[in-house]
Amino acid sequence: MKKSNLLKHSLSYLAISLGTSFAASTASADLLEEVQERGVLNVGTEFHFAPFAYLDNGQQSGLNLELMERVAEELEVSINWIDLPWPSVLPGLEAGNYDFVAGPAMITQERKLRYNFTLPIADATVAILKRADDDSIQTPEDISGKAAGGGRGTAQLEQLKAFAAELPEPPTITEYVDYSQTYADLAAGRIDAVANSLPNIAYTATQRPMFEVVHPPFGQPAYFGYMARNDEESASLVEAINEVLLSMHEDGSLAELQTKWFGEPMDVPSEDFEPEI
Amino acid sequence: MTFDLSIITANAGAIWNAFLVTIYTWLAGSVLGLMAGLLIAALMLFGGRPLQLLLRVFIELVRGTPFLVILFLVYYGGPSFGLRLGAMTAGVLCIAFYSSVYFAEIFRSGFAAVPRGQLEAGECLGLGRLQLLWRVQLPQMLVLILPAIFNMLTILCKETAVLSIITVPELTAVLTGIGTRTFTFIETLLVLCIAYLLLIEITSRAGRWLEHRVGIYLQR
Amino acid sequence: MFDWPTFLFSLPLLGKALLITLQTSLLGNAFGFVIAILISSMQLAKMPLLRRLGGSYIFIFRGVPLLVQLLVIYYLAPMFGLPNLSPMVAAVMALSLCSGAYIAEILRGGLMAIPSGQSEAAHLLGMSRPAILLRIELPQAVQSTLPSLVNELVLLIKASALVSVVGLADLTRVAQNLASSDYLFFQHYLVLAGIYCLINIPLTMFGRRLERHLERSLA
Repeated sequence: MKKSNLLKHSLSYLAISLGTSFAASTASADLLEEVQERGVLNVGTEFHFAPFAYLDNGQQSGLNLELMERVAEELEVSINWIDLPWPSVLPGLEAGNYDFVAGPAMITQERKLRYNFTLPIADATVAILKRADDDSIQTPEDISGKAAGGGRGTAQLEQLKAFAAELPEPPTITEYVDYSQTYADLAAGRIDAVANSLPNIAYTATQRPMFEVVHPPFGQPAYFGYMARNDEESASLVEAINEVLLSMHEDGSLAELQTKWFGEPMDVPSEDFEPEI
Repeated sequence: MTFDLSIITANAGAIWNAFLVTIYTWLAGSVLGLMAGLLIAALMLFGGRPLQLLLRVFIELVRGTPFLVILFLVYYGGPSFGLRLGAMTAGVLCIAFYSSVYFAEIFRSGFAAVPRGQLEAGECLGLGRLQLLWRVQLPQMLVLILPAIFNMLTILCKETAVLSIITVPELTAVLTGIGTRTFTFIETLLVLCIAYLLLIEITSRAGRWLEHRVGIYLQR
Repeated sequence: MFDWPTFLFSLPLLGKALLITLQTSLLGNAFGFVIAILISSMQLAKMPLLRRLGGSYIFIFRGVPLLVQLLVIYYLAPMFGLPNLSPMVAAVMALSLCSGAYIAEILRGGLMAIPSGQSEAAHLLGMSRPAILLRIELPQAVQSTLPSLVNELVLLIKASALVSVVGLADLTRVAQNLASSDYLFFQHYLVLAGIYCLINIPLTMFGRRLERHLERSLA
C-alpha cells in the first residue's frame, strides 16, 4: 500500500517536472520576466567550494547563500539551489538546465566571451595551500618537482599548469572532481600542494590548522563573479543582479559579507573591467 | 550550438594517453580479478564449511555495494589505516576486488556444470584430485563460461569510467576535462561514446571468435 | 575509531537521501521495463528495419558507460526541447534508457522460450498482435524471467550511485558531502556501503528464492 503511494507520488512528481520543463521551453524570451513569473530562480552551484558554498552539518552554508538571499529578496523570487560536480556546472548552464551559476567562477578573458558575468564579488588570485608541517615549501616556486593538485575544469588549475611549466622541474599535477577531494589528498599526503584562489584556501587554513597558505599568491590578479548564459534572454537577469550588487557596494553589505567570510573587505571593481588572464 | 572537432585533433596526444590508461586499468584489473575469482571459487569448492560461509558473506557484501562506494572506501578511507595507494593502483585493485566475486560465481557455476560422470570416470582411471581439476574440470569449464567471462569484461570496461571520479587520468576524466576547459562539451562526449562503443564491440567480437575457435577444437 | 554521535547525526540525512536513491532506481526500473517491452518486441518483429533499430538501441545503451550516458542526457536533452531538466528527471531518464536495454535482453529470452503455438492459436481466435504480446506472452515471459528482473533491479540501485553528476543529492552524494565536511571518510563510506547492502542483499536473496521456486515449478 505504502509502496504504491510512493510510486504514485513519484510518478506525479515526474509528470509535473516534465510538464514544467515543456512549459519553460515555450515561455517568454526574457529570462528575468520568466524567473519572476515562475517565482523561482534556478541556480547551479557546487557545495565543495568553501567559504562560498559548503555543507555545515548537512546544510548549505557560505557567502553564496547569504549574497543570493539578498538578490532573491530584491527580485522577489525564491532560490532553488542545484549542487553539481564542477565539471558539470558550466555545461548544465549552457544546456539550459538552470538560469544562473553562483559558483562563483574566476572571470577570465576566454570565459567572458562565452558567458555573461556579473560584477566581481571577491578576489580570486591563485595561491598555494600546503601542510603546515611541510617546511620544504616556503615560496610558491618550491613546489618544483613535487606533487600538486587542482580542480578539473577550473581556471585555477589552468593557472597552476601555466605556473608549473615555468618551474625548473615541473610538479606532477593531479586533477580532482572537487576541491574537498584535493584538501583530503593534501591531508593524506598524496599531494604536497593545492592551487586555489586565496579566499578559498585562506578560509580552509583557518578551519583546519593542519594547512597553511604559502605567500605570496603566484597567480595573476583575478576576480570571482557569478554568471548566466551569454544570450539576449539572460541580459536582463544579469543587469538586475548587478544592480543588487551595486546597492550592496553602496550600503556596505558586500564588504560586511566579505569580512564575515574572508576576514577582511576586498577591493573589487564596481564596473565592467578587462580581466588580465 | 557549434560543433568543432578540431579540439579533438589538437588534443590527440592527451586523448591517446588517456585511452591507454583506460585499457591498462581495465585489463590489469580484470586479469587480477580473474585470478582472485578462480582462487575464491576453488576455496569455496574445496574449503571447509566455515570458510565457505565466510566467503559467501564476503561475496554478498561486495555484490551489494556499488563500485563507486568501494572506490571511495579504498581511496579516501584507506589513508586512515595508513593505506595510501596512488589513484591508478587503487583503481586497478578495486576493479580486481569488485570483479573477483563475480568471476568466482562464474567459475563456481562452471565447475558445477561439468557432468559428475566424467569425474567418476577420471577417478576410475586413477587420476588424483588436482589432476582431475587441472585436466578434466578446468578445460571443459573454460569453454562453458567463456560467454559469461566476456560479458563481465565488457561490464568492467565500462566501470573504468567511474575511475575518473578518483582522479585516474583515463578517457572520461581527460575528455570531460578538455570539454570543460574549451567549452566543447558535445564534441568530447561524442568521442567518448564512440571510444567505448568501439572497445565494447571489439571485446564482444573477440569473445564470439574465441567461443567459435574453442567450439571447433572441442568437436575434434 | 567509530564516532557514534556523528553517525547518529548523519542518519536522518542519509535516510532522506536513501528515499531519493530508491525513488530514482524504482522509477528508472519501471520506465525501463516499458522501454524494454517496446525494444524486445521490436527485436522479435518480422520487419528487418524494426529488428535493426531494436538491436542498435541495445548496442548503444549497453555499450556506453552509465556515467557518460548521464552526462550526454543532461547536456543534450535541451537540444531536443527539454530545457530546465530537473536533476530527478534527468537521472530517471538516464536510468530508464539504460536499464531498458538490459531488461529488453532479459525479456527477449523469455519471449523466445514461449512455444509459437500459443500465439498462433490466439491469432486464430482473432486477437490482435499487441493484445497477444501484452496479455498472453508478456505475463509468461515476466514470470519465467522474474529472478533476472530482480537481479537487474539490484544492479540499477547500485548504478544509481552515479546520479550525482547531474545534480541529484542521492545516498552516495550525501555521504560524500558528510565525509568532506568532517574528514571521517572511512566511517561515512562504510556506513554508505552498509546501507546499500541492507537493501541489496535481501533483494538478491529474494531473487534467488524466486529462482528456486521457479525451477521447482518447472521440474
